[in-house]
Amino acid sequence: MDFYFGLVQIIGVHTLLGLSAYIVLLTGQVSLAQAGFFAVGAYAAGMLTVLAGWHLVPALGASAVCGAGVACAVGFPALRIKGLMLVIATLAFGEGVRLFFFNFDYQVARGDIKVGPLGGEGFRQIRFFPEHGWTTGEVMLFIWVFVVAAMALLWWFDRSRYGSVLRAVGEDELAAQSVGINLTAVKVSAMTVGGAIAGVGGGLYAHYTTHIEHASFNILLATFAIAYQIVGGLRNVFGTVLAVIFVQGFLIEGLRFLGDWRNLLFGALIVLAMNLRPSGFLGARRRA
Amino acid sequence: MLDFFQSVSDGVLFGATYALIGIGFTLVFGVMHKLNMAYAAASVGGAYAGLLVLKVMAAAPPALVFLGAFAAGGVLGWLVYLTCFHFIPLSSPLATLMSTVGMLLLIDEVIVHVTEGMPQNYPAMFDDVMLRAGDFTMRGDLLLVFGVAVLCMVALMLLLYRTRLGLATRAVSQQPVAARLCGIRLEQVNATTFIITGLLGGIAGALIGASVGTLSPLLTTPLTVKGLIVTVIGGLGSVPGAIVAGLLVGGFENVLQLYRGVTERDLYVMLLLFVFLTFRPDGIFAPKGGRD
Amino acid sequence: MLELQTLSRHFGGVRAVDGLDLSVAQGQIFGLIGPNGSGKSTTVNVITGLFAPTSGKILFRGEDLAAVPTHRRLRAGIARTFQNIRLFGQLSVWQNLWVAQNSAEDQERQGFFARWLGGQGGVRAEIAQLLEFSGLAHKQDELAANLAFGEQRRLELARAMAAKPKLLLLDEPAAGMNSEEIAQLRERILKLRERGVTILLVEHVMELVMGVTDRIAVLNFGQKIAEGTPAEIQAHPAVRKAYLGGDAA
Repeated sequence: MDFYFGLVQIIGVHTLLGLSAYIVLLTGQVSLAQAGFFAVGAYAAGMLTVLAGWHLVPALGASAVCGAGVACAVGFPALRIKGLMLVIATLAFGEGVRLFFFNFDYQVARGDIKVGPLGGEGFRQIRFFPEHGWTTGEVMLFIWVFVVAAMALLWWFDRSRYGSVLRAVGEDELAAQSVGINLTAVKVSAMTVGGAIAGVGGGLYAHYTTHIEHASFNILLATFAIAYQIVGGLRNVFGTVLAVIFVQGFLIEGLRFLGDWRNLLFGALIVLAMNLRPSGFLGARRRA
Repeated sequence: MLDFFQSVSDGVLFGATYALIGIGFTLVFGVMHKLNMAYAAASVGGAYAGLLVLKVMAAAPPALVFLGAFAAGGVLGWLVYLTCFHFIPLSSPLATLMSTVGMLLLIDEVIVHVTEGMPQNYPAMFDDVMLRAGDFTMRGDLLLVFGVAVLCMVALMLLLYRTRLGLATRAVSQQPVAARLCGIRLEQVNATTFIITGLLGGIAGALIGASVGTLSPLLTTPLTVKGLIVTVIGGLGSVPGAIVAGLLVGGFENVLQLYRGVTERDLYVMLLLFVFLTFRPDGIFAPKGGRD
Repeated sequence: MLELQTLSRHFGGVRAVDGLDLSVAQGQIFGLIGPNGSGKSTTVNVITGLFAPTSGKILFRGEDLAAVPTHRRLRAGIARTFQNIRLFGQLSVWQNLWVAQNSAEDQERQGFFARWLGGQGGVRAEIAQLLEFSGLAHKQDELAANLAFGEQRRLELARAMAAKPKLLLLDEPAAGMNSEEIAQLRERILKLRERGVTILLVEHVMELVMGVTDRIAVLNFGQKIAEGTPAEIQAHPAVRKAYLGGDAA
């Protein structure tokens, strides 16, 4: 049973990652930086609970703020970069974040052991859940409270004028400007919200795995964030959830029997999928 | 002071390999307006494949290994074209991007599986040769790296500007529809572009292996990122830009390694990218606007 | 309402708009005509802020527009339609109108929260009106990309109206229309004037221009070569020459 709880935890955290990419992609910005905001949230929450003794909930709030802050800072220069250049820039940013944490040491003595991030070794002993006696099932539910909240938030956006404005900007920036939409405000706000959601996801990730390191926040993770949108389509948030369930649930777990070869197949599967269904699976509403 | 010049010199010589990788990215972008994320991985893959020559002939001279890498790179390049760009309609840019990322992951994993994660030694040429001028030295193998890279770039420029294929390639990059109407076969030009950049990539991978002494699959990610940085700094689509930017990044990186160490070095290269994106987003040589 | 003072817009060596003086009074329907390449669309683009003028001034209700960015000009009361329709194809008809409600009036009436995060309820009545006006009520949930050409044109106009403009710039709205559609468009433009909208009509289709405008200016090579009432323009020799070249009866 614990195994399935663990899987649902992963699906939950990845859904948050996916949702953070969802809102940014709506505005037409292809961002490979979401894994970077995720990492910032992870380290921030971890450090607050482990080094400063905070309770997890306010620590997650701080993760959201940190993720949002970094995303906002990225959002402004991103305005000036279009299309594929943005992909490259956000990729470089994500790698830059990873490299930063690879070099980041901040250890504090607790009794006779040292805790805190230690460069390449990562950040171990993020033990908030075990220390407070949470069961795997309880952790899973806790994670999903946040997932549902994020889904509800984005669902609400989608049904409001903001949602239509996001999609209008994603479709035609020139027309959007001409009907009075402030591109800067829309694109940066989307990036910021995405950063906040990714931050929370990262904070939760840090606590259920109890050990994070720079290598977890790599290009593969950044790719997952975008991949979920392609598989799920950008129609609504449920597409993203279903995509995560499909990829993490069926593909990754289902291919577990392949053992080592699983990673190999994963790349091949992406290539195959793109060739067979280039416009995605639960695709956007098609033109008649 | 001498240390500074020494590291600039070494860095610029090594930077020629970055230039080759940058050319690969920029050429595909220029011709097809698409990003081939798998390029650096294919280059490393080609270099690994070159080692197969040693399997067949244990005492093969390094030059043969390089040749093997060269050829393998071309094959891999064509393979990437086939799996990522031939069948997928060009109107789905996200799909081709994801597909190349898939190939990047696939090639990486194949390398890890085949080598069982162990770094492989790479043969070098002229590694015992040193040119000296007082305390200033130029390593023979780095000079070779530089020389071979320059030869490749010259060959490429000749190809682009003196042959019909090059003309067709430039035509396609400016007006693909019109080029088609003039009888140029798009698929052929695109596939050839991939093969040629693949050949360049294979050589680049081999040269990197030769100057560092070992090849490891960990090379792929930093090489991808640096190659992309070179491409952006040089201007997406500009081959001369990629050359200049490659040398620039090589020199810059090495100087920073001297003063700040290896682990922080790559962070500063990112910073260089962001400086360029802020002040000169079009790159050093922004290619003249053609397509909208 | 709108005043262009020696407005120029050069693209390298090409003088798309060259020293243009124009004055549109409130409530007028002002026509802007000229052969292809005479600078009509460029003028519209400069007025809406897509291009900055190379020299000269644009005064809107007395205010110099130089420092006002494109999306703010909408808020100031200038809306436009596009020559080659630029609808948000993946949004429904209703949503296309909804995202365009960015006028200063709307901003004052509804609070920030309601305007951005509120649902459809608050503006249902207004959008229904716009749909009524353009005859698209039955298609309100249809994707804009799936509309017929004529319907798309009507939506383009309705979307511009959603912004409650004081000045409406119409860029070749009659292109590709048949006589019946042109007549309907003419009616619609006149109704807009009744509602107090000033209109600058850039057009090629003479049937529309001559039938609906109060005043016309003629451009050729970026310069104004004539201005007057439709009757005056029709008889003007320089206009004849620009369109037909040389002496034509």
